[in-house]
Amino acid sequence: MNRLFTNQWARIVFILLIGLCTFNLLWAQDETTIAPVGKSYALTNVTIIPSPGKKIEKGTVVMKDGLITAVGTSVTIPADAIIIKADSMYVYAGFIDGLSRTGVTKPKEEPATQRPKDPGNPPAEQAGITPQSDVRSELNSAEKSITELRNTGFTVSQVVPYGNFLPGSAAIILLGGKSPDGMVLINQSGLYSELTGARFVYPNTVMAVMAKWRELYKNASLTKSFQTSYASNRNGISRPGSDRVLEAFYPVIDQKIPVVFKAEKILDAQRVLTLRKDLGFSLVMADVKEGSPLINKIKSSGTKVFLSLDLPDEVKKDDKKTEKKEAAKTFAENEKEKLEKRKNEAIAQATAQASDFNKAGMVFGFSVLNAKTKDIQANLRRMIAAGLPEDVALAALTTNAAKLLSLDDRLGTIENGKIANLVVSDKPYFSEKAKVQYVFVDGNMYKMDTKAPAKPDGKTVAKGTWNYTTERSGGKIVIKDDNGSLSGTITSTIREGETELKDVSLDGSSLSFSYEFAMGGNTGKVEVVVKIDGDTFEGTMSVGKFGSFPIKGTRDPKSK
Amino acid sequence: MKNLILIFVFVLYGSAASAQDKGNVLIKNGTVLTITKGTLPETDVLVKDGKIAQIAKNIAAPQGVRVIDAKGLFVMPGIIDAHSHIALDAINEATSPVTAEVAESDAINPMQINIYRALGGGVTTIHALHGSANAIGGQCQILKLRYGTLDPDALKMEGAPRTIKFALGENPTRVHGGGNNIVPRTRMGVEFVIRKSFSDAKKYAQEWEAYNKNKLVKGFRGAPPVYNLRLETLAEILKGNITIHCHSYRADEIFMLLRVCKDFGIKKIVFQHVNEGFKVAPELAAYGAMASVFSDWWAYKFEVYYSTAYNAAILTRNGVVTSINSDDAEMMRHLYLEAGKTQKYGSLTDEEALALITINPAKQLGVESRIGSLEVGKDADIAIFKNHPLSIYGVPQYTIVDGTVRFDRANDPADMRLMVDPKQNFDEATFFDKGVDHCLDGTEFLFTNDKN
Repeated sequence: MNRLFTNQWARIVFILLIGLCTFNLLWAQDETTIAPVGKSYALTNVTIIPSPGKKIEKGTVVMKDGLITAVGTSVTIPADAIIIKADSMYVYAGFIDGLSRTGVTKPKEEPATQRPKDPGNPPAEQAGITPQSDVRSELNSAEKSITELRNTGFTVSQVVPYGNFLPGSAAIILLGGKSPDGMVLINQSGLYSELTGARFVYPNTVMAVMAKWRELYKNASLTKSFQTSYASNRNGISRPGSDRVLEAFYPVIDQKIPVVFKAEKILDAQRVLTLRKDLGFSLVMADVKEGSPLINKIKSSGTKVFLSLDLPDEVKKDDKKTEKKEAAKTFAENEKEKLEKRKNEAIAQATAQASDFNKAGMVFGFSVLNAKTKDIQANLRRMIAAGLPEDVALAALTTNAAKLLSLDDRLGTIENGKIANLVVSDKPYFSEKAKVQYVFVDGNMYKMDTKAPAKPDGKTVAKGTWNYTTERSGGKIVIKDDNGSLSGTITSTIREGETELKDVSLDGSSLSFSYEFAMGGNTGKVEVVVKIDGDTFEGTMSVGKFGSFPIKGTRDPKSK
Repeated sequence: MKNLILIFVFVLYGSAASAQDKGNVLIKNGTVLTITKGTLPETDVLVKDGKIAQIAKNIAAPQGVRVIDAKGLFVMPGIIDAHSHIALDAINEATSPVTAEVAESDAINPMQINIYRALGGGVTTIHALHGSANAIGGQCQILKLRYGTLDPDALKMEGAPRTIKFALGENPTRVHGGGNNIVPRTRMGVEFVIRKSFSDAKKYAQEWEAYNKNKLVKGFRGAPPVYNLRLETLAEILKGNITIHCHSYRADEIFMLLRVCKDFGIKKIVFQHVNEGFKVAPELAAYGAMASVFSDWWAYKFEVYYSTAYNAAILTRNGVVTSINSDDAEMMRHLYLEAGKTQKYGSLTDEEALALITINPAKQLGVESRIGSLEVGKDADIAIFKNHPLSIYGVPQYTIVDGTVRFDRANDPADMRLMVDPKQNFDEATFFDKGVDHCLDGTEFLFTNDKN
């Protein structure tokens, strides 16, 4: 039963997290598109970083019709060019993301369906086997995720459809454009797959996913060679049938496109490498988070790698905590301390991953699939602090990513003839307070509105109706504000009725309250401290001896 | 802090690299329980490159080789658990009554702390089984407990024979008949599912055989049959390349499967649990079927009431190769005590009782030429006990896998976790995984009305 509950709550937390990602970022810099008159721009008096390690001071970059047409200190600016005075600013080639769902519309969450009649033989769609799907049909140029990612300096993404096992083919898109097709740089850049099973039906576990992968691949190889043989002489042979699922594997078998696998965890990555070894396809592993111990394995397999730009949060030092003497600590406190220590080591290891790959001489790019866009710049800085040279970080975002995606003839550097994808920041991009000022995609300019984020009175407001989740429960918190005096109630999915909150207080952006609970003959006090960030909060709830749990919430914006 | 991290990283890499290291060690002056060649007092065991090189008195220690002083201690072969579900990320592919194509070799998790705990109980090899939700479950994997590696493949026992899990009775009928209203709903249905699967596999193998034969004919350009990994695997059972390990309790269903095997010419079969094995012991012995049982665990569901603690002894005395297994991460840490119970219930000799957790499970897994006894040339998988392992005072001191000391009671760090999730919560570490059996993991949703 334990396992059932964990699964269930893990799912709820997951859904919530997905929800969080799509929230508008408070500090988000709104951009405005300026219609190009002659479709020509000139960035003047700017520090140009044409490629990692190179620098042109006080230079000019000219773009025309979507291409870079001149780069240097003594270039003639065409008469029709819009001149952007970028004094003291820095311009880089636009960043390239190796895997995400930027611009891809999330399908509506299917309502809980009836348990399937024969879970062993589900329709291919329910089984997650739709490799024939084309991500272009799920692209939407108006998706907010495009703007959000572009605002951090990204101009190109390899995007994949939603789904688990074999959701469809990937495409490389420009992060700007008027229509799905208008954004596409390369269609069918890879066949996308995850080792995630289907819910309730076959293939459900990783064992079945891998077995099915092998079976599909083998059958695709068989039908492909039979079709070839049939095409060479059709007379006297029963015609081969058509099978769109198997046909989707043909370009992979021909080594025309790679399989793009999400491989976050160390075991996922090793299982994916096993499949590659067994079947021999060319492999791109993306969103890798625990790759350091596998560098040699990855290197010798010739696999291309995109490391995740998501990092576990840094642990903030709790100054208030008074250090107890070893002997005075309870067993649980000691255990907790040990776990915290190991977690810190794991966080440090995750942060040093990119540096480890660099030290081993591995070329890699980055992917933003699970990264919160607002954390990307800070995460890059953390990686650099952990030993990743800035030039290598920049190469991973530009030249190396372009090479890994076979786009280096068009993208990755600021050179004549390349696609006009640029990012301009007010300070060197990796410095603490650097803000992106302009992003050019395909020669179109997006100007950031870098004014201070609009907050009413600049103060955090606690008032409103908050939906919260913890690992095992969820519910509603209603906070009332009566001329600065806060009060409220809480409901929970595991208890009936409403409970009155006590000691509700707001200190800066930190909201705290407590409440009593009675459950199964036990009573206790729950203390909650959360940090409000716009219409979301994150924090911890402490339940006496039972320990503390993370809690997250989102506010109904109308209830403010 | 940086140094600390470096050390940690080094430990990880170092251990990953050393996972398949074949160690050297000299164990001096122990009471050597060879299992197959008697008990040798005050004897040394020399291990070279992961193999037992010499068993004799007064062996001189080669230079640089670690010496373990085993004076007053008991040296036995590493314990083999013929039925375990640890070190796995997935146990049941419960979506279909037949899932022969899935394999636990794809779901190995070398980082589970249970592996180290098992080493603490003298266990060196486990049979990591698919669960018992399906009449024909997945293929299983024989693992050596080389704890310390992050590489799942490093745990696999090289060249170990292939095995597969079958299941009779309440589990498959409850999951598929009860849960999904499909065959099998009854014991008859289970037999039908197995017979039909074998028949289909036979036909499938014939189709491929015919195709491969035709392909040799010049000018043949016909279509290949559809490749089916499930039938492919089942056909391998029929060819004798995969041993069946069948979850079973009742005498009638055990006898049923013997008949099915006979009809399809299958010789290799090991029954798991076999609580009513004592009723059909002569029949099992006559067929050459083997039995892996609990010492005294029963009455946890209706079909497991008719049981006796004399089961292992009765089976042994009837000539059935019998082992005692755990099916449980906690019980596997004291399998030597479980074996000891057969002396109270059945008066087995020391050697017979120890064979239940060493050479007999090795025979059942088809690896008796490699492990299960202390003999020159065999893998150096060794458990060293303070006090006799069959005594209630027996305590494992060292556990050695391939000549590498993987557990040393005198040097047993408190924190042996290989990796920690940076997002893990504390309460998960302490309040979860309470040591229930995992035979039906991944099937819970079938028994609730919960549609999420």
